[in-house]
Amino acid sequence: MTAVVVAGLTLREVTRRRAVMVLLIGMPLAFYLTRRDLPGQSTRMLTLGIGWAVATLTLFVVNAQRGVDPRLRLAGASVTALVGGRLLAMTAAGVGLAGGYWGLVAVLQDVRRPWAIGPLMLVSALVGVPFGSLVGALLPRELEGALALLTVVAVQMLANPEGLLAEVMPFWSARELGNYAIDATAVSDLWRALLHAGATWTLATGLTVALFARRLRVARYPEP
Amino acid sequence: MVPSRPWLHGFLDLCLLAMLGERSDYGYGLSQRLAASGVADVPGGTLYPALLRLEQQGLVEPRWASSESGPRRKYYDLTAAGRAALADQGADWRRFRDGIDALVSASVGASVEGERR
Amino acid sequence: MSPDDWPARFEAELLRLGQHPARARALADETAQQAVESGTGPDRLFGPAHLYARHLVSELNDVPPGPAGGGPPAPGRVLLRLRDVGKRYRRRVVLSGVDLTVRAGEVAAVVGANGCGKSTLLRICAGLTRPSSGAVERTHRVGLVPQDGGTADWLTAAEHFTLFGAAAGMAPRRARSAGEHLAARLAWRPAAGQPAQELSGGTRQKLNLVLGELGSPDLLLLDEPYQGFDEGTYLDFWRQVAAWRDAGRAVVVVTHLLHDLRDVDQVLDLGSRPGGRVAAVAR
Repeated sequence: MTAVVVAGLTLREVTRRRAVMVLLIGMPLAFYLTRRDLPGQSTRMLTLGIGWAVATLTLFVVNAQRGVDPRLRLAGASVTALVGGRLLAMTAAGVGLAGGYWGLVAVLQDVRRPWAIGPLMLVSALVGVPFGSLVGALLPRELEGALALLTVVAVQMLANPEGLLAEVMPFWSARELGNYAIDATAVSDLWRALLHAGATWTLATGLTVALFARRLRVARYPEP
Repeated sequence: MVPSRPWLHGFLDLCLLAMLGERSDYGYGLSQRLAASGVADVPGGTLYPALLRLEQQGLVEPRWASSESGPRRKYYDLTAAGRAALADQGADWRRFRDGIDALVSASVGASVEGERR
Repeated sequence: MSPDDWPARFEAELLRLGQHPARARALADETAQQAVESGTGPDRLFGPAHLYARHLVSELNDVPPGPAGGGPPAPGRVLLRLRDVGKRYRRRVVLSGVDLTVRAGEVAAVVGANGCGKSTLLRICAGLTRPSSGAVERTHRVGLVPQDGGTADWLTAAEHFTLFGAAAGMAPRRARSAGEHLAARLAWRPAAGQPAQELSGGTRQKLNLVLGELGSPDLLLLDEPYQGFDEGTYLDFWRQVAAWRDAGRAVVVVTHLLHDLRDVDQVLDLGSRPGGRVAAVAR
């Protein structure tokens, strides 16, 4: 299937960009290390860092393949295969990243609900993928896209968690889940977070597909 | 003797159509019949492309059949279009042949006359 | 020259000459079988594989002359037709009144000064942009070779072949093998593990050409594809265009350099000003 081939090649492409990989994978670690003394805060930062790293990687991947997209469409690929393949690849990468860091935290940190840390990071990564893809669809240049993502993450970090602004941000769900996992708050936090994450994921994915479907429209001319 | 290319093209197609009109055959068999008839000893590299071309033009139709010696062979049959083409080309050929015949006989007659004088 | 590789070399040369892969395979099998039924080795019966391949392709493209044949060969079917095509962006008219008909076995060159809409016209032909006015008819099997940026910087040539092949429905191994054959035609052996951005300009364009052709399209659209070519590659490119034409494909080349006019059947001059009604002129 075309989507599977696209996914495989996307992963290969990403792993070749060594410097980018190291920086992006290392960034969450940097976030974590700065507040290592505060187990809760450091884990939260780490989670946010994961979401940001995955989003940025996805952004780069989407932009790097822009040039080939129209040609692949002409050759017969469908928009869903192209977009879906990329999302699939980056989701796999995100799962890997989340899994790795879950292991790290589980070993090094002492939190109330360690089993929830995994899902916490997973949710952050999963939301990051379509979000990064959406930013890539909207902002065709890597620099602008990366700056936009940076802004979102900064706002997410600094905004008052109770306020409306924070709720609207894509990684709010990660924050709420963090509360549940780290501070052992009520179960209602868990469901709200998952709902928010699901909605964000669906919205971002849907918008991405719609944007690309419009941009990669190929006219169906009749045969002469 | 293998006639030069333009001649051979036209004549070869006609010969192949005629032989297939008589009975269907496979490539090598046609080549042997052609040689036996005394027309020309046509090499495989000329015969097979001609057969493929006739197939491409829809004048012959291939079918696979097993032979006595074992391996399946590709036999060719004339299609309806092939029969029509054979009739047309055959008529052209007869006109052509008769015309040349007439000229050659006339000139032979004249030279005989000339010699007699 | 062992008789065992003869069919393989034969098939490879057929692919080189632009035959559709399925057809090349069928012809190779048949030819091998013909040798078997004649009881001789194929290289004794037909001669060297690559020469016979060329001979066969040109025979199959010929209409037999002589008492039975006659008349000019029927023009190939129309693969692209533009009727009164125009394009405007807001108030800027980029193209207007363009007529173009390209048949199988024809090469059309689109010329004109920079900025007069050549690339836009090509995008319209491809279907990536809709015309503002007029009608376009085009075969489904089309390949596009853009001027630049049509490749993924971080993927190797072989990975490009796999990707584009998958889009066209080809299995990865076949796609890679087809890609390598097509590359060989341009005198290029892609190095394994070398990402596209490390290729020189001329080699990158070769990759572009191969990718445009990978799905065996009937119509090829090329946008100034030889920027960065050296002299030898430039000549190879036009030989490639001639091969495509002989193999019955239609080629549209957007160019501001017009090479040897022998290979071009019609020229569409978009003029030095945008606008203005144009029709192609036959050579």
